[in-house]
Amino acid sequence: MLTMGLDIGSTACKCIILEDGKNILGRAVVSSGAGTVGAQKVYDEALAMHSLKREDLGRLMVTGYGRFSFETADNQKSELSCHAKGIAFLMPTVRTIIDIGGQDAKALRLNAKGMLDSFVMNDKCAAGTGKFLEVMAGRLNLQTEELGEWDAKATEEASISSTCTVFAESEVISKLSMNVNLADLVAGIHRSVAKRVAVLAYRNGIVKDVAMSGGVALNKGVVRALGEELKTEILVHADCQLAGALGAALFAWEELCKQA
Amino acid sequence: MTETVAQKPKRPLPKSRVMVAAQTAKVYQDAWDAKARGEKIGWSTAIFPQEICETMGIPVLYPENNAAAISAKHLGDDLIAYAEGQMRYPMNICSYARLNLALAEKIQDPAYNTADPLLPSPDFVLLANNSCTQLMKWYEQLSHNLNIPIFFVDCLFNYDEEKPAAYKVTYIRKQIESYIAEMEKFSGKKFDWDKFLEVQKRSQINSKLFDDIIQLNTRVPAPVNGFDFFNYMSCLVLCRGKESTTEIFKQLKLEIEEHIANGTTSFPAKEEYRVHWEGIACWPNLGHNLKTLKNYGVNAVINGYVTAWNIVYEPGNLDSMAYAYATSSTNSLTTETIMNMRSDTIKKFDCDGMLCHVNRSCKMMTFHIFVGRNIVEEKTGVPCSNFDGDQSDSRVYSEAQFETRVQGLVEIMKENKEAKNG
Repeated sequence: MLTMGLDIGSTACKCIILEDGKNILGRAVVSSGAGTVGAQKVYDEALAMHSLKREDLGRLMVTGYGRFSFETADNQKSELSCHAKGIAFLMPTVRTIIDIGGQDAKALRLNAKGMLDSFVMNDKCAAGTGKFLEVMAGRLNLQTEELGEWDAKATEEASISSTCTVFAESEVISKLSMNVNLADLVAGIHRSVAKRVAVLAYRNGIVKDVAMSGGVALNKGVVRALGEELKTEILVHADCQLAGALGAALFAWEELCKQA
Repeated sequence: MTETVAQKPKRPLPKSRVMVAAQTAKVYQDAWDAKARGEKIGWSTAIFPQEICETMGIPVLYPENNAAAISAKHLGDDLIAYAEGQMRYPMNICSYARLNLALAEKIQDPAYNTADPLLPSPDFVLLANNSCTQLMKWYEQLSHNLNIPIFFVDCLFNYDEEKPAAYKVTYIRKQIESYIAEMEKFSGKKFDWDKFLEVQKRSQINSKLFDDIIQLNTRVPAPVNGFDFFNYMSCLVLCRGKESTTEIFKQLKLEIEEHIANGTTSFPAKEEYRVHWEGIACWPNLGHNLKTLKNYGVNAVINGYVTAWNIVYEPGNLDSMAYAYATSSTNSLTTETIMNMRSDTIKKFDCDGMLCHVNRSCKMMTFHIFVGRNIVEEKTGVPCSNFDGDQSDSRVYSEAQFETRVQGLVEIMKENKEAKNG
């Protein structure tokens, strides 16, 4: 039996098709988020990849910022529980998850059964979120996907002291005008994000193993800086960006089993 | 073509709520009438020994309560902007203070009528610092800006002690005695100690009644939507020593007992989860808070804020009264003491979780939330979730963030319940 998990984030939509609650059959990611055609597009793509129709899905669970607005869904669940579920499936030893989303950052703690135990999220501020990275990449004329590679070339991390996204952007402009090395600037930007997110993680309590989920986990520079701030190794799974969608698909499977 | 959408009829307010509205309107009108007669009227902090002015028949209004009412009606933003702009107060200070300081200036113009309810300008202010330290600077500003006197009762913080030391009680009692003498001189009215005793007795009847009412919500499912208490607590803030409050509470108790007898509740959904609400109400966003909680079947059955106005003491005993004012606000107690109280309440009210308002305005309450939630989680085993907001400043709150936090808390509470029930 197939279930689908759809994670409609603020900047990207992710989709997983799961077979019998165990095997990942299909994956799809579209780089446009809630309020756009992204959700429909990623859903259509995932189905088309395996020549499936809606009727082939036993249950469809939606999560993420746009979770209330996908009409064909059977149910919706918060991204908190879905990321916890997805990561616990991918890496069962993990007890602490850090997820940096497009407009929020969260630290999750799991219990020994892999269930969400507690969480802390950012306040009404873009600092430490994916949006912060997006704005900075734009100012540096880079794609967000390129930031990790530039980070690896850094020799002396540039300091970005402002927490506010707008002021940090001004700082970046100022440093660019002083010919600060691009790679060093990128590393400084990653440090800024890591410092902000580390506060959340410490506040929620850190229990090993620690993992990152969400698309920002693909950025090796952020993972590096966060590992340094938390003084621990950060595990990253190849499917980290799809963890929320995977969790949703797993919840869909559980609901299906309960119905049966 | 215009589509006609049928509006769901609003449920009529229960009689007790109508009585609250009438009492509040009368308190304001009495103050306006006294002002028109050339009599002195005052503004007071919310946990001040109000029995003295009540005894002397001097009208007093409460800026914190007034700011909450204005904010709940979404009329606070312009005042806050005025305070930050023309009056140059920064946004980091309490939003009640910003709103009220702006209002105090605006009402000097007789044509000003935007705020609701509208306060008459005070001739004096009454200040007790038992619930907040920012109050001292706020009231100092009022006194300075309006050139009016402050009557100040300094309540010491209770470090390392659940019960205040005797010298603190004596210190507060002496100040109350001194305040009575000063108010006699200021108002030209003689203080009637027999009437004072009656007012004290009435205050105790009302405090006891309110506590009895709150305790009725220990029932599962609760007969009262916990948010309703935000409306009724105003009776204790404004009119703790009045007989009209007794009548309101008796009526409210009858209505709740009727709910219990009929198996009904004022909570507008099936109660799936019970939580303890920590912190002041998020007044400008109360509607969204309640709508979201209702959608998830979460009844905030109890909160520490509404019980702060139960000032319990022995009538005729000034030491006992001083003791009550030294301890009634949890902001005068240590974090550990507060959280022990919260943990006991969570157990007593059979709560599944705790929802904490990280209130940008209230540094005192916010200070203990992050440490406190760990104490609560450890002592009770229930999960806690925080959300960001403000008591009056609508800019701080995000609807989507609130919903995600509530949903996350609900999902943990659900897992816990399922695990508990096998």
